[in-house]
Amino acid sequence: MNSAEAPKIKRESKNKIRVDFERTPLLQRLRAKFLNLYTLKKVLWYLFRLLLLIGVSYIILFPFFSKIASSFMSESDFVDVTVRLIPKSPTLTTYKAIIVDNQYFKAFGNTFLLSLICGLLQTFICCFVGYGFAKFKFKGSNILFLIVIFTMVVPHSTLRLSMFMKFKDFDILGIMSLLNKVGAISKPGFQLLNTNWPLWILSATGLAYKNGLFIFLMRQFYKGIPDELEESAYLDGSGVFKTFFTIIIPLSVTMMVTVFLFAFSWQWTDTFYTNVFYTQTGPLLLTKIVKTPASLMEMSSASSTLYSAAIKNTCGLLIIFPLIILYLFGQKFIVQGIERSGITG
Amino acid sequence: MNKVLNVFKGSASGKPRSASLEKKKARSGWIFVLPFIIGFILIYLPVIFDSIRFSFNEIRILTGGGYELDFVGFQNYRDALFVDTGFTQALVSGLKQLVIDIPAIVLFSLFIAIILNQKIFGRAAFRAIFFIPVILTTGLIGQIDANNAMLEYMNNGAIDTGVEAEASATNQILNAMDLKGLFETMAIGQGLLEYVVQAVNSIFDIVNRCGVQMLIFLSGLQSISPAIYESCQIDGASGWETFWKVTLPMVSPMILVNAVYTVIDAFTSSSNKVMNYIDTVYNQPNGNVLSSAMSWMYFLLVILIIAAVAGLLSLFVFYQRRD
Repeated sequence: MNSAEAPKIKRESKNKIRVDFERTPLLQRLRAKFLNLYTLKKVLWYLFRLLLLIGVSYIILFPFFSKIASSFMSESDFVDVTVRLIPKSPTLTTYKAIIVDNQYFKAFGNTFLLSLICGLLQTFICCFVGYGFAKFKFKGSNILFLIVIFTMVVPHSTLRLSMFMKFKDFDILGIMSLLNKVGAISKPGFQLLNTNWPLWILSATGLAYKNGLFIFLMRQFYKGIPDELEESAYLDGSGVFKTFFTIIIPLSVTMMVTVFLFAFSWQWTDTFYTNVFYTQTGPLLLTKIVKTPASLMEMSSASSTLYSAAIKNTCGLLIIFPLIILYLFGQKFIVQGIERSGITG
Repeated sequence: MNKVLNVFKGSASGKPRSASLEKKKARSGWIFVLPFIIGFILIYLPVIFDSIRFSFNEIRILTGGGYELDFVGFQNYRDALFVDTGFTQALVSGLKQLVIDIPAIVLFSLFIAIILNQKIFGRAAFRAIFFIPVILTTGLIGQIDANNAMLEYMNNGAIDTGVEAEASATNQILNAMDLKGLFETMAIGQGLLEYVVQAVNSIFDIVNRCGVQMLIFLSGLQSISPAIYESCQIDGASGWETFWKVTLPMVSPMILVNAVYTVIDAFTSSSNKVMNYIDTVYNQPNGNVLSSAMSWMYFLLVILIIAAVAGLLSLFVFYQRRD
């Protein structure tokens, strides 16, 4: 037997041996593996994708960078031509002025209460309604679902005036106004303007901003859950609602977090409903603090438009700051939510 | 005797025979969607009805609260169409914008979703970044960004003359010219050229509005069974072929959903030109009923367009047969 072809067996210790094979040199192997058209194509495609993603990420992130940068600039930086992204004399005056003069924390508290309850209500109600549409066949369910889509299609400015009127003197089926005419009560309805009730009521009935989308998302998600799961629960004697609360809800936590994130942050920055339901005299909300603070008024009117733009942007930054924190914690749920749901058409 | 028998009968069969499972399920279905039904009947329908009523009336707000209506027929609609100069203009330009936006948004979000679905370095981070606009660039922030001197200044590096807007406009045109040159040498039709130029100019806007669509596409892509791709690979199909023969048909229902969603989103977003115009009309004296009339006409147009888009796309939608 030729010793060159046979593997060399070396005894290293009592329980260990080493086998040496004749192998092609490493360099040649690597060359054969990587220096071909297939790999080249793959690498190019990979680089192209990476470049594209980085480019689009830049488009998304750059406004935030520039806003953050400009929020630290002092007013002299805006006059200076050489200053572009990095402030020469960084200052916190803008932040201080907005927080103190525009009563940031008060607005924050009000908006937080409003958005939190709206978000929770919308998440839960859309979950509920979506489940009803996904798993139960009943007469008119298709028409009803079309109506859900319909509520999403109606531009909200269509309903602006009538929403305002509705919640100005809120009553159901004209009961209050009837009582008013009879003389039992003095007002034709509940005055709900400048309170959080209009938005809470809308949230509790699945009619608030883009709730049609949430119902759709939840419905698609539940359609992906196999029916056998519930059937086995029914067989074990669990009722429909018990099954929903003990089995379905825990399964859909990721999707619910996604919907909650959407609902909360869309309510947080919503201007339409807050303009309709809250007047100037009403509680201060975050959407109302976008204005030049009193203490910066002189400076901003004296210097360029850039400065007032920067002040506006800083207001925006302060407003979305809590959302950024929320997003950092919640973004993995958004991604997970889609990975598990497998929404189908 | 009879009575006794009855009692006996009653105890034997217990309560009246329970409804069939199907009926029971239908009933629980109604209970699940009940919150929405209540809201729709008690709040939404009256509001819709009021809105239609207002659009046919002249409204006077009374000082003691409440209002008075004077029926004027189609006067508001006529005013909106023929007297008001801005409305039809806004409508036409809004529609033009829509024609540009919808294909761009749908295609872009599909493309990005496909890329984000593949294995790539830092995929989680990229996904997180791409969903930022959904959460953060909506409503108020969108409005602040809509005319933001700061962003234009930093993006374009205009000279500090106090006319940043003008400078940035020229800059944009310059960029477009470069692109135009590129395309003209490629000898592609004029229409496509203008389309691409417009789309590139509004890339920031498009990226910002892609979030939800991307989400829907991604989940659609996730639901395609890997077994199909595996068998494609074994049969020797290239990535390109796999895309056209497998991925695209499988996500085509998502394309329909997203196109409709994009139309809805584009029409009802507050950055929409027509919506802006209607809002300004609303704030004019006596403009509130006029704006109601305008938005109802607008709504009818939206419905028509959605029906057209949905009808057109559903011709190409492929539904996988299950089981």
